[in-house]
Amino acid sequence: MSSVDAAAEAPRRPFTGRRVRFGDLVLQLVAGAAALATTVLVGLIIWKVIDGARLSLSKYGLGFVTRIAWNPVPGHELYGAASFLFGTAVTSFSALLLATPLAIGIALFLTELAPRPLQAPVTALVETLAAIPSVVIGLWGILVLGPALRDHVEPTLHSVLGFIPLFGPKGAGPSVFTAIVVLTIMILPIVASISRELFLGVPHELKEGALALGTTRWEMVRGVMFPYARGGIAAALILGFGRAIGEAIAVTQVIGGGVFIHWNLFGTGDTLGAKIAASYQGASTNLQASSLIYLGLILLVFSLIVNLAAQWVVRRSARKHGIVRGGRA
Amino acid sequence: MPKLGSLIRISAVVAAAALLAVAVVGTAGASRASHNGTTITGAGSSFVSPLVAQWVAGIGAAYGYELQYSPIGSGGGIAAITGRTVDFGASDAPLTSDQFNACNGCLQIPWALGATAIMFNEPSVPNLLHMDGPTLASIFMGQIKTWNDPAIKKLNPKVSLPSTAITVAHRSDNSGTTYNLTDYLSHVSPAWQAQFGTAVAVNWPVGVGAKGSSGVAGVVASTQGAIGYADVAFALKNHLKYFAMKNASGFFTTPGSRGILAAASSDQKPDANNALSIVNPPKKYPVAYPISTFTYVIVPQQTAKAADLRKFLFWAVTKGQAGQYTAALRFVPIPKSVLVVAEKTIAKIHS
Amino acid sequence: MSSAGFELGGNHLTRRRRVNLGMEMLAWLAATIALAVLGIMVYAVAGRGSSELNLDLITKQPIPFSLTNAPQGLSNAFAGTIVLVAFATAMALPVGILVAVYLNEFAPPSIRNGVTLILDILNGVPAIVIGIFVYGLLVLGNGQSGFAGSFALACLMLPLVARATMEVLVLVPNSLREAALGLGIARWRTTLSIVLPQTIGGILTGTVLAVARVAGETAPLLFTSSLVGNKPSWNPAHALQSIPVAIFELSESPDPKDHARAWAAAFVLLLFILFASLGARWLALRSRRKLTAR
Repeated sequence: MSSVDAAAEAPRRPFTGRRVRFGDLVLQLVAGAAALATTVLVGLIIWKVIDGARLSLSKYGLGFVTRIAWNPVPGHELYGAASFLFGTAVTSFSALLLATPLAIGIALFLTELAPRPLQAPVTALVETLAAIPSVVIGLWGILVLGPALRDHVEPTLHSVLGFIPLFGPKGAGPSVFTAIVVLTIMILPIVASISRELFLGVPHELKEGALALGTTRWEMVRGVMFPYARGGIAAALILGFGRAIGEAIAVTQVIGGGVFIHWNLFGTGDTLGAKIAASYQGASTNLQASSLIYLGLILLVFSLIVNLAAQWVVRRSARKHGIVRGGRA
Repeated sequence: MPKLGSLIRISAVVAAAALLAVAVVGTAGASRASHNGTTITGAGSSFVSPLVAQWVAGIGAAYGYELQYSPIGSGGGIAAITGRTVDFGASDAPLTSDQFNACNGCLQIPWALGATAIMFNEPSVPNLLHMDGPTLASIFMGQIKTWNDPAIKKLNPKVSLPSTAITVAHRSDNSGTTYNLTDYLSHVSPAWQAQFGTAVAVNWPVGVGAKGSSGVAGVVASTQGAIGYADVAFALKNHLKYFAMKNASGFFTTPGSRGILAAASSDQKPDANNALSIVNPPKKYPVAYPISTFTYVIVPQQTAKAADLRKFLFWAVTKGQAGQYTAALRFVPIPKSVLVVAEKTIAKIHS
Repeated sequence: MSSAGFELGGNHLTRRRRVNLGMEMLAWLAATIALAVLGIMVYAVAGRGSSELNLDLITKQPIPFSLTNAPQGLSNAFAGTIVLVAFATAMALPVGILVAVYLNEFAPPSIRNGVTLILDILNGVPAIVIGIFVYGLLVLGNGQSGFAGSFALACLMLPLVARATMEVLVLVPNSLREAALGLGIARWRTTLSIVLPQTIGGILTGTVLAVARVAGETAPLLFTSSLVGNKPSWNPAHALQSIPVAIFELSESPDPKDHARAWAAAFVLLLFILFASLGARWLALRSRRKLTAR
């Protein structure tokens, strides 16, 4: 410290060190406590879920995960997660399959094709789709989409593609197919907006260089933008997938609650989250309640894996491109 | 720009405040109309929920109690009262001994009498179509898949049946109505008894699952060719047709007061836990409807709200059985013998 | 535009141009589909709810299994949502801001990365699992309550508020902090009176977005605040009805009037969320312009 500083400080603050440090200490402690509380919260969530599943865990162990059963009859109680895992996997992967080309198409439209004045409003509208609560989409699914699919789309698909077991005879309305469409609508905006941000981040020079060499716009997208944004799009897909597997409310409203594994998309099914939402309130025995929480534990583990995978992919691609991504879109 | 910004900010705040004010005034106005009395909360059977819904006004007028009831299904009701998250639970399925143990000192009191209607949605077919137990079991087992199946034709020779596919609608939650239906099916179909049994939820082989009696009614109402089951009040409220079921005497009976009362006379003695079983009454009750059931309220024997609960339950089993509450919903006042037992049990509630 | 050296006769270029046109059309189609879906849903909600969209919706309480045509509404749900969201915000906002302050102003890089990861994990926990968690933590043995419901909603809001606050804290230039320290102002004073006020816009934006998100959440409230009465209540010690749970329950009913009420409630909810989201974006734009204009 220069003598000027010392002179300026000395008359103002004879007790500089202690007073300043106390206030700092308090703020640091309180803020640090908040950070600690957040960490404790996450630990508590994991612990509580494991604790709730304990009865079922001790009774069934890991065999629960591969068993196709959900028999709540007292005296014959037997529970297993396999049909719900199957349902979760089928609905989420199918939704991802349907949503990816749509989302990338939208992102490309917004960054490359849309006229300037349209870009902002259309972006806002796509993000509005993300803001619609899942219960409203589920309401629309039960009352509008389900009957429309059942009465018009499913019979057509069955008559044209009926030889594939996926497109069996039409159902009663609630079906795996309706759930897939609903999930597609829900993950579309997430993947689209992340992809859009990624495409916006592709350096101009690369794009214009390719165009100057005579490529068409599509060739430029395929040859420059996709490879550049590859890691980020992978992360976006993983995040969208994570959203789909965790969705419980809209899915339980439209999927019909079936317990069996079958290939007919137009029949009923169930997923981990949807089963919990439908049955938890009325679980009649401790074993049933614990088995439902076991389903939640499986869901939590998968969500964590998906989340961490997305983080890892983002970090890897950020390192590659030398940028540090703060938050998501 | 600053002027526009602050103008927008001010108007946003004013709009939000206005909306909030309307909401507060509106809801405060609604609550001003009620008494400032005790709240009695309950949860469980959706079977009895239409009747309990009618009781809210009556009990409020009589004692100023505010009755809150959530129809989450009998299984949920038993779980809720076991966890003491509500003041009373309601279940159509009598508690098993395990459930009594878990509930830790609970009393089971029959407080209403009604019937499960097998409702359907098929416009080309008349109401009160004939149906019998074994055929119904086959339908729920997925062996009968269309309306013009020979088994249904045999019961209804004069009716022209369409080839529409049958969609079974069943409960996805733990339901006393399911218990009632499966109890009946187990009595009339050895195949059902062997494969599925009697329970609040079974391993349904076919069909669409829905939550609550209103959920099942919803599926039936919106799906042509659907067959489902719920308390007859739901069929009436939603203008759904239902079957006339063949009873043990060979007659096709309907879930009306005569049929239910006749069924109730087949078991007039509640067992040690006050449970009664009146499904598939024997031949000597020719007009009995075979899928009738009592329904129970489950209360802890010792509770801080003992005095209020006793008042409420006495009212429910006496004044609450009056025609003004029960008639339109096809509930039937509980018979005298059961009433006596109920009142004795209610008196046991203490604080 | 020059095609020198790339074409082998005219066919390849024509084909490439056709493929390009096809792809562009697909992209336009994708955008149209997305907007069409949005439009169909909004149209359905507005159209089907219009019959029940009146003042009764927020002033009258529901009458389950009504045999008469007495006017009904969802006053308990509207009151409950206001209380639940208000308490959730009160729980999540201070903690979120404090976490962001700690991470940005005090934490060493390792802790910052660690807690940021924790926040991302919390953000990724499905809402239904949060519901199970809070049920086990607060409801079992004590009964449902508005507090339990609000706590569950707060768990969902926390990562959103924390992240939004961090994003704007980073934008405050370090020179400001150093200048204040150079003047002899205590670190805590600097943070509270100089740095944070700069970020109010961003925090507000983040909070409004979090509120919009959480106002429509059903799963966490299913097990924590769903055994409710019909009378509107403002007391969070008891379970309170909420708009999304009401919509959820009405959606499975067979009664067309119940459906209409569900649509109407969904319309009000959508309108609120739309205004909140658009308002937040506009706020964010303004505050970012103010901050980065420096």
